[in-house]
Formats: sequence, C-alpha cells, structure tokens
Amino acid sequence: MNLLSYVKIWLACARYSIVRTMMFRFDFLMWALVEFCWMAVNLLLVAVIYRHTDDIAGWTKYQMLLLVGTSMLVQRFIMGFFWSNLFEMARNIRSGHFDFFLAQPGNPLFMISTRKLDLDGVANIFVAMAVVAYAIRELGLAPSFVDLALYALLVLCGVLINYGALLMIVSLTFWLGASQGIEGSYFTLMEFSRLPRETFRGTANVIFVWILPAVIVSNVPARALLHGFEPANALWLLAVTILWLGLGIAVFNRGLRRYASASS
Amino acid sequence: MSALAKYRHAFLLGLQSNIVYRWNFAIRALFSLFHLAFVFILWGAAYKGQTQIGGFDLDQTLTYFVVLLVMQFFIGAFNEDYQISEEIRNGLINQFLLKPINYYGYRFSIFVAARSVSGLLALLPIVVALPLLKDHLVFPHEGWRVALGLPAMAMAAFIQFTIAYCFGLLAFWFLEIQSFIILSLAVETVLGGQMFPLDLMPPWFFHLSQWLPYYYQMYFPTAIFTGRLDMFSAFSGLALQAFWVVTLLGLAHVLWTRGLRRHTAVGG
Repeated sequence: MNLLSYVKIWLACARYSIVRTMMFRFDFLMWALVEFCWMAVNLLLVAVIYRHTDDIAGWTKYQMLLLVGTSMLVQRFIMGFFWSNLFEMARNIRSGHFDFFLAQPGNPLFMISTRKLDLDGVANIFVAMAVVAYAIRELGLAPSFVDLALYALLVLCGVLINYGALLMIVSLTFWLGASQGIEGSYFTLMEFSRLPRETFRGTANVIFVWILPAVIVSNVPARALLHGFEPANALWLLAVTILWLGLGIAVFNRGLRRYASASS
Repeated sequence: MSALAKYRHAFLLGLQSNIVYRWNFAIRALFSLFHLAFVFILWGAAYKGQTQIGGFDLDQTLTYFVVLLVMQFFIGAFNEDYQISEEIRNGLINQFLLKPINYYGYRFSIFVAARSVSGLLALLPIVVALPLLKDHLVFPHEGWRVALGLPAMAMAAFIQFTIAYCFGLLAFWFLEIQSFIILSLAVETVLGGQMFPLDLMPPWFFHLSQWLPYYYQMYFPTAIFTGRLDMFSAFSGLALQAFWVVTLLGLAHVLWTRGLRRHTAVGG
C-alpha cells in the first residue's frame, strides 16, 4: 500500500471516531471534563507551591507553567491519538482479538495505532496550548514563527518518544499475558516530565534524565522557547526519539513473532 | 452473634481473594514509591533557599507525604465503586436481595479485608526504602496524637468507603459511571490534601475545606499524626468527621432503597 492509502485509512478512522463521539455526546463531555480537571489539579499544585516560594531550581512561576503546559501538550497528543488504541491492543492480545488486525491489508502497527481518535483528548490539546500561550504572554516572550515551528518539532519528538515507550510497555503483554497495571507505569513516569531538569541530582538524574526519557520530553521544548534554540539539546532529543521509537517498534515486532493467538 | 459471623466469613473470603491479587498491590506500591520520589524532588527543590514553608520544614512536609501514602493503602478506597457498579450491572446483586445479609455490611467487610492486605503490602517497599527515608521522618511526640489519630483514621476509612459505595450505587441510574468516579477522584485528590498539604492553601480555602467530607478522608488523620493540627482543631474535627460519617451513611441508605425501586433483576 502506498502512503496515500494510509492517509485515506486514517481519515476514514477519524471520521468514524467523530461520528461515534457525536452519538455519545454526554460521554464525550464528561471525559473531556475529567481530563480538564486533572490538568487543573496539576496547575493548582504549581500555583500553591509558588505561593510560598519564588523559584524552583531557578524556574520562576510562569517558566514552570510553560514547562507543565508543554508536558501536558505532549501527553494530550498521546491521549488523543494513541492511548486507547495501545491500551486496547494489550486487551486484544490477551483475548485473541488481535488476529483481526493481522488479517487487515496493511502494516499491523499502523492499523493498531490509528484505529480510534479520542476526541476528548484532542479537545484538551487546545487547553494545553492555551496554558502554554498564557505562560508565553506572562513571561513577555515574543517567539518568532521559526521559534514556534521549532518548538512544535521538539514537541513532536516528545510525542514520538512517549509513543515508543508506551508501545514498548504494552508490547510486553506478548510475553507477560495478564499484565494488569503495567500501563499505569507510563503515568507514573510522566509525572517526572512536569519537573525542571535542574531538580534532578545524583541517582535521580541518571535514572530520569539519562536512562528513562521522562524529563527531556518536556524540558527541551520548554527551554527552546525560554532560552532560544539550543542545537545540542535538540540533537540529544532527536537521538532519544530515534532510540525509543526504534526500541518500541523492535519489541513490538519481536512480540508479534511470539504471538500465537488465543484459543477461540 | 450469628449476625457477626456472617460478616466475619465475608471478611475471610475477602482476605483470600485479595491475597490472590498480591502482585497487583505490590506493583502498585512500587509505583507509589516513584510518586514519593517525585514528591521528594519537587519539595526538596521548593525548599531551596528557605527553611520553612507554611510554618513547616522540609522533613515535616516529606513525613506528611510518607504517612499519606501509608494511609492510602490502609484506608483508601481503590476500586470498590467499580466493583459495586459491576455487581449491579451483572445482576450479581440479586443474590443479596434474597439473603438475610446487609449489602453495605458485606461490602464493608470485604473492604476491610482488602485494605488489610494492601496496607501490609504497601509497607514492604517503604521498609525497603527506609534507609533513605528515615533521616527525613520526623514525628511529634505528644501521646494525644495517637489517641485522636486512630479514631480519625477509622472514621476516615468509613468516609472513604461510603463515598465509593454511593458512587457504585449510581449504576442503578447510569450505564457508565467510570467518568463520574475519575472526576470525583480529582476533587478528592485536591480537597483531601493528597496533592499538597491543605494548610498551604489560602486561609479562606483551608477553612472552607474543613466543612467538606474530603478533608476528613486523608488530610485530617495524616495532619493529626504529623503535627499539622493542634489539639483543639483535632477535637472539633472529630466532631465534624462523625457528622459526615452519619450523613454519608444516611445518603448510602437512601440511594440503596431508591435504587432498588428502580432495579429490575435481569438474569443472575
């Protein structure tokens, strides 16, 4: 299949998701509200701590808001486009429904990852953008079009890293079978993306900054807006993107070879 | 006597079925250690350049979060709301309508069993991390804190469970209640003091929160144990907490009787 057919498939899936959402409007509103409230909880934490201090590891309140907003932006993209698809993949592997995706004429990973859009997550992408925009305004920054485009690219890298990490975690289901709760490790890890890199010292620095891709997915884009584009940081993020995306796909393909369906 | 024996058996059954899930609890406890690392890093950085925030030093604040974590595994409601809603939806609830057993009492016995298992399992990672934690743990020495903290903890467990129970009963009216549950979890996380100690909020907000049941879920017992409340606030808090226990039990009863009127026993 060529690229155009994949685009067509994706559009058809998106259309189906929109129609479905329109059918369950109350559900959509409730879930959008749920996500919105959780974002508000995290913003509240920033507001409360900065009532009592002026900076955290050299980051002022609105710089911190920019960081948290960036972290949210990355996570909303994951929630809107990939989370429920990958979450269902784990369930399908266990139940044997995964066969259905293998039977489709297309790349299985593409078919799995793009089946459904969560419009409530997509709606909250705009909320996260508003948080970032508000922080930019309060900081008195005037990013040029190029700055914003670079920021968008770095955020995209963050999304791809998260996708790779999540794909890897979910692919472990091929080996583990019943693996309730491992998907939760993703959220635990993402908590660290709301912290400035400078707060990590010693072992924590090695684990969360260098080994796990938790901190840089938000810190590198946010710093690019705050302090201008830093090529070294961008290259680092790009290398990590290639590594984690590659790792996720490799683990998935390995698992796929192991997959022997479930009994009917 | 025989009435109690029923619930003792429910408790023992709950104990058995929850020991089956020991790995789930253990994994959850392990993740919560990561959350603790997040808390230590964040607050450690916030305290740089000052010794006190809201009248408490860094170690006092860290102790608050450690006690809170233990509290969550001992008295927090995990997915009781979901389990109850599933029993209603599947029609499993019908069997309880025919037997001389109180559904609330039955579920509460299982809740106590589940928390005994998860609470003890949650202590494991904390014991492992103790060499790192112990220099940061500071507890006040007044004896009254234990004497008032334990009943506060017991009533907090009632409030936790009863709120979850009420949400579960919403399944009589709504098909899908998961979004309600997660929404209310966000409210509980803030107003129960799980995100930050409530005393760090502006005074008007802190006073307002004391009138709500969430305050008595986690913050209240934790704050008594870790020295964030004085004796007077603890005593008056216990009175309000008792009020909320009774009110919520009443609400649970109303929802149960009203819900049953709507309930049509399908299948089972």
